[in-house]
Amino acid sequence: MTEPTAYEQAHAGGVVDTAVGFPKSREDMFEFYEFIRKGSHDSATKDGELEFPAGYMFKNVPKWESNEMGDPVEMLFLEHQRHGITQAIVGVEDEVGRRAVRDLPDHFFAGIGIDPNEGMEAVRKIDHYANEYDLKSVGAFPAGLYPQVALNDKKFYPIYAKCIEVDVAFCSTAGVPGPRLQFAPQEVALIDEVCWYFPELKFVTRHGCEPWTALAAKLLLKWPNLYYSTTAFAPKYYPADIIKFGNTRGADKVIFSGYFPSGLSYERVFNEMPAVPFRDHVWPKFLRENAQRVFKLPQKSVKPGKVSP
Amino acid sequence: MSAEAFEKARAETGVIDTMIGFPAPREEQAKHYDFIRAQTNDADSQEWEFPAQYMFKGVPHYDKVDDPVEMLMAKMKQHGITKALTGMAVDGNAKIALERYPDNFVASTNTDPNQGMDAVRKLDEDVRVHGAKATNCWGTGLVPQVPLNDKKMYPIYSKCIELDIPIFVYAGVPGPRIRFAPQEVALLDEVCWFFPELRIVTRHGGEPWTQLMVKLLLKWPNLYYSTSAFAPKHYNADIIKFANTRGADKIIYAGYYPMGLDIDRIFAELPNVPFRDHVWPKFLYENAARVLKL
Repeated sequence: MTEPTAYEQAHAGGVVDTAVGFPKSREDMFEFYEFIRKGSHDSATKDGELEFPAGYMFKNVPKWESNEMGDPVEMLFLEHQRHGITQAIVGVEDEVGRRAVRDLPDHFFAGIGIDPNEGMEAVRKIDHYANEYDLKSVGAFPAGLYPQVALNDKKFYPIYAKCIEVDVAFCSTAGVPGPRLQFAPQEVALIDEVCWYFPELKFVTRHGCEPWTALAAKLLLKWPNLYYSTTAFAPKYYPADIIKFGNTRGADKVIFSGYFPSGLSYERVFNEMPAVPFRDHVWPKFLRENAQRVFKLPQKSVKPGKVSP
Repeated sequence: MSAEAFEKARAETGVIDTMIGFPAPREEQAKHYDFIRAQTNDADSQEWEFPAQYMFKGVPHYDKVDDPVEMLMAKMKQHGITKALTGMAVDGNAKIALERYPDNFVASTNTDPNQGMDAVRKLDEDVRVHGAKATNCWGTGLVPQVPLNDKKMYPIYSKCIELDIPIFVYAGVPGPRIRFAPQEVALLDEVCWFFPELRIVTRHGGEPWTQLMVKLLLKWPNLYYSTSAFAPKHYNADIIKFANTRGADKIIYAGYYPMGLDIDRIFAELPNVPFRDHVWPKFLYENAARVLKL
């Protein structure tokens, strides 16, 4: 028996996925993306020719026909057990997510999405979920809002203040979005102003920050409460700037996230993961510890050997 | 008759003055305006005791003030002012006044949105712990200036709604020689649109955009206008007309003692303001009491 690698040891200690969706049938998934089609102008997106509006970027997107669907909570939990995911943040705005955090409270944790166009209703929504659930993340997709809301827009400011007040991390997509929407509202450069005005805000980027990854690394170093998560990126495409930052001064700032079931299967993610050139000490932080600290999750780690292959 | 209706309202309903300060010796009062001088560029503002003094006649001056609280109380009693909006119960004259005359003084807390989350937390604490009934923010006087529709104001507005208190802001060309841009009346439209629940009370006249002010007061149910810094003989015609027609519930009395107007002057001129009879009790007391939730 060969000695397990640092990656294998870290993986065996448990993995946190900070942004997960429950499996949905193809029809339901198609319907879910209506909000993107609404804001797009190109026919491939608008007419639904692209079943998944960012589908042109992904190979082998997970899909289930209606008759293949079982209980979404069980399906996801099974996937997680299969791949060694030990904690996951899921949306609790529908009954499926609520049931998951209720029935499996050690495994599933509460997140919500936010639309600052809703004004005070959005502020109250955060309060509501923070009171009703142990809320761990407030997420936004600035380019996907209707109308779009830039990360440094005034509409976001009461949201940021509320996240600080209830001490919950704010997560946002940053960089050019896959769907054919304008990237302007989520340019990485906008984050600088937000971190300057709200230095206490725990801000976690999603979806890669490309092509401004060199700037992202500068900002991650500059702002202590800014973090980067790898949502929507297959490990073989993790940006070199980010890997380098993770390996040097940023071991505490880069956080694993998958993109299941929207665009990536866990099979693919964990097949590719061992080839990511993170240094040994980075792996447990990247896969688990950073997320546990930033999202205030229980510092749970499983004993090596418990993960089924 | 307007004057009789004024007297009746003052005697029966009382008066809330939503902008009044404690008298201070000249030097101290002049020093108070250093924060304005800091961002003026003209020579006059550096020399003047009061940076808006070119606009006012008979600004109150005192060489010596023995007991500012008693002095103000006596002035208030003399003119039938039953309640006054003042500073916080944590320091200075306001603390003494609120302790000594709890029925006559209502606490308001000052907000500086350049302080970010500290401003939000201070507002929260001043209201929840120290009993403030309102906040005020003069964004134009801050360094750097903060416009009414600036993103820095948004967490403050949001917090005011949560705390269910009004915010007093300044609108119109300011007297001191600093830029008016941060307090153009037009900026209020965006704020009222995004925060329809927010109770906003404007101060300092809204001139020269009073027609727009009236349009906005009619359009936005939670927008109010107060008459601070205006001698009653200079109350704006657009505002008086609005109060007499559809705006009886939207116009709120405020003085400007001792900063620029003597209370004696204000109350000598007030009976001549051509408000219709039903407007007077609302203007002098009821509108402020409702907005402040007294």
